[in-house]
Amino acid sequence: MVGHYDENLLSDMLPLYYTKYFPQNIFCRWLCCGCSPQPLSNRELSFTLADDVYLRYLSISDQKELQTLFQKKCPHKLDIGAVYNTKPSIARHDSVVLARELVFDIDLTDYDEVRTCCKEAKVCEKCWKFMVIACEIIDKALKDDFGFQNILWVFSGRRGIHCWVSDYEARVLDSPGRGAVADYLCLIMGGDNQNKKVNLGNDNLHTSIRRALDIIDKYFEEILQDQEFFSTNDGLKAFLKQIPDDNLRSQTEKKLEKLPESSLERWRNFISLYETYCRENGFAVRKIKYLVEEIKVQYCYPRLDVNVTKGFNHLLKSPFSIHPKTGKVSVVFKPTNARKMKLSDVPTIQSLLDDSTADSTEHQNNMKTSVKIFQEVVFSLEKAEAMRRKADANMSLEF
Amino acid sequence: MDLNIKRKSTKTVITGSLLETYPHDLQMYKIPPTEEIPLQEFETLALERLTLLRSLATATTLKGFRPFSDEWKEYIQSDLRNQGLKYYAKLCEYTKCGTDADLHARRKDHIAHFILRLAYCRNEELRRWFVARELELFKMRFMTMNSEAVDTFFRLNNLSYTNISEEEKLEIISCLRESTPYQNIDNMKFYKVKFYEVLDLVRSRKVFLNGGYAFIPHRDFVSVLSAQFRTHLRQSLAVACHHLGEIEQDERLVCLLKGLHQSYTGADYADTKAVVPIESLDSLSAKSYPLCMRQLHEQLRLSHHLRHGGRLQYGLFLKGIGVTLEDSLRFWREEFTKIMDLDKFEKQYSYNVRYNYGKEGSKRNYSPFSCLRIINETVGPGDCHGCPYRHCDVSNLKNKLQGYGVDPQAISEIVDTSKKGHFQVACSKYFDTIHNVDLGLGINHPNQFFEESQKLLKGEIKVEIKKENKINLKKEALDDLDFDDDL
Ligand code: SF4
Ligand SMILES: [Zn+2]
Repeated sequence: MVGHYDENLLSDMLPLYYTKYFPQNIFCRWLCCGCSPQPLSNRELSFTLADDVYLRYLSISDQKELQTLFQKKCPHKLDIGAVYNTKPSIARHDSVVLARELVFDIDLTDYDEVRTCCKEAKVCEKCWKFMVIACEIIDKALKDDFGFQNILWVFSGRRGIHCWVSDYEARVLDSPGRGAVADYLCLIMGGDNQNKKVNLGNDNLHTSIRRALDIIDKYFEEILQDQEFFSTNDGLKAFLKQIPDDNLRSQTEKKLEKLPESSLERWRNFISLYETYCRENGFAVRKIKYLVEEIKVQYCYPRLDVNVTKGFNHLLKSPFSIHPKTGKVSVVFKPTNARKMKLSDVPTIQSLLDDSTADSTEHQNNMKTSVKIFQEVVFSLEKAEAMRRKADANMSLEF
Repeated sequence: MDLNIKRKSTKTVITGSLLETYPHDLQMYKIPPTEEIPLQEFETLALERLTLLRSLATATTLKGFRPFSDEWKEYIQSDLRNQGLKYYAKLCEYTKCGTDADLHARRKDHIAHFILRLAYCRNEELRRWFVARELELFKMRFMTMNSEAVDTFFRLNNLSYTNISEEEKLEIISCLRESTPYQNIDNMKFYKVKFYEVLDLVRSRKVFLNGGYAFIPHRDFVSVLSAQFRTHLRQSLAVACHHLGEIEQDERLVCLLKGLHQSYTGADYADTKAVVPIESLDSLSAKSYPLCMRQLHEQLRLSHHLRHGGRLQYGLFLKGIGVTLEDSLRFWREEFTKIMDLDKFEKQYSYNVRYNYGKEGSKRNYSPFSCLRIINETVGPGDCHGCPYRHCDVSNLKNKLQGYGVDPQAISEIVDTSKKGHFQVACSKYFDTIHNVDLGLGINHPNQFFEESQKLLKGEIKVEIKKENKINLKKEALDDLDFDDDL
């Protein structure tokens, strides 16, 4: 099926896709809410055209203009930027960013040091489970901890997911605020020069971390078996580097090397070794109090691209844009459904436009479902916006 | 801003009204001074405040004390007294107040703060430095106040908060216990504030969050206040920057203000006169690069690629040492095209290179990053930028230094220093080691590291080569530090 997709045909297919499948109306309403109280035209859109020509500072004032722009330029990729105090344009360097959805970008390439099934641009059902965990943890934190309600989850089109938070408070959050939210959610820190990237200290575990661990636990053994993190020599070495205590490390090394390669078995043996070690060395365990949790986090916790979240005007690929390399639609999905979502279920531009492809009917349906989920999110956002405006009006009456 | 610089007569201020104007030691600096100030006093006040802020900066970055720790406060206290700024030293300790001298100190504090706003508002780098220092000062002063003073402060600034009810607290008590970093939570009153009022607590996960609210005990109000203080100050600086033109009609003021801001930031290395050919980068990287740049250079040579953060950090550094735009383009192109075709490079990467030189986008002349900036960079999986003393595992740092043939004693000294969190001090030790000197420079910019090194190598500075016995002395001191090295 993917074999059918040919990037060279994209320019021929896109005009029809934009007219027939792209949910223009709902899309504009979503953008509109995200701009309010500024007009829709203050929002920056950007297009990537064929041959990688990159157009920034575009804007539209209604759906009609969007359709015209689509037909005129036929963007291979569509990105969404910030809301400015004026209509965005290249010439205006004095324009200021006023608002922007709080966004998150999670990409499987950042899991390359842990995932064993694929590397770089590749992705399969096995490593997709990392995204499922990420989505569940982040969604929960945004709702429970930060009280956000209008959250949109979007498949990035190839190997990752995006999250857009449209609550008013999130949209006007300043950069230190965005930075703080990102840091709060980020437990894995450090670059290629740090082997152990997680340190949970030795106090109590923060409520949000404990909750995240509960989520990870639902998947951990399954992923362990999928990925076989510790079965190769390199994998085992990387694992041993997570253990800061010399004695425990050498004990573990001796024991695990002798075991068969199954990661699950090695893991269970490590746990029992660790527990005995802690019992026998009461004094030394402070440093490794949360070692097991730290390792779980290092292997499974979401790896956010924090720069995308921190930046106020980072452009991010729009929902329902086509990924030019895969032809896949950036579909909207329900976080509660992430677990059931299969990559092969994601419609491609080819399967939508050409009914002779094998998955066509199914993909048509999936596309409809996705638009419907998008609609639901936009409706509730519109309701929230209406309420906010009413509250604002009452406030100003009182004074 | 309404600073009327005195050219006419001086009004005498009566102490009685001083107490009304300055009812508290600590202020939020909401209202600018309106009295007329003689130019002479203007200058003195500015310089004195500058000394104060510098003293804070030294304590944190050069001495490497943990901010707000006792040693940190002690250092500042004694430094202020040594510099003859007893009134600031007293203000920082919190005066019960009453005496005339105390009131005058408050007035100076007020006026001086506003003068420095003018000097520091002109660009982002300056603003950031200023806000960071003023914030440290504010926090330090708030934290030394007793509870009575805190209450008065709240009352004077119209800050009223009510605590949550016992029932509400009981419902979430276990969450409060695990997410609030204090003992005896049960006896504390808790307050509910929006999460964005306590961003520093959110960032470090030191507070329980629920439904968008943060639940904090009384002592964490310092976070709420400093956040307000920061926001207010940032906005005021932006406004001040807009009005600079009006103030700068006065020649004398211009000189003074400009002089001030040059006297504290040092060069920003955005415009350099030297020209460095890219053919010499390999040898320069071994001889004169700080570790953060050396590692990026080597990574680039090795994998013919750097991720965004690395390209930015290294690209701007190269510009700063005097690599021309054309050379820079050639340099990146030659490496990147080993793994991608020319077309891709031109489309995706050459823009960034030109951007660094102010030829694209907003066309700003970007300055190379300072150590402070680099040390605080976010470094994620796949990245190798940042400051190695901060962002490398101990074992990796050791291996790296060993690979460079650094002598084992120096290595353990460097590693040890960086383990304690004194990254720039470690960097300075590395400088001394590779140059075989004992200068103990304060390193605060990678380009400064480079320039100092070049000066040394070209013989512009004469130094005595480290003496043998000195090394022995250090060795003894090191022995007892060495044991918990290999984590
Ligand atoms: S201290 Fe500064 S110059 Fe030295 S390695 Fe770190 S960032 Fe680079
Ligand atoms: Zn995979």
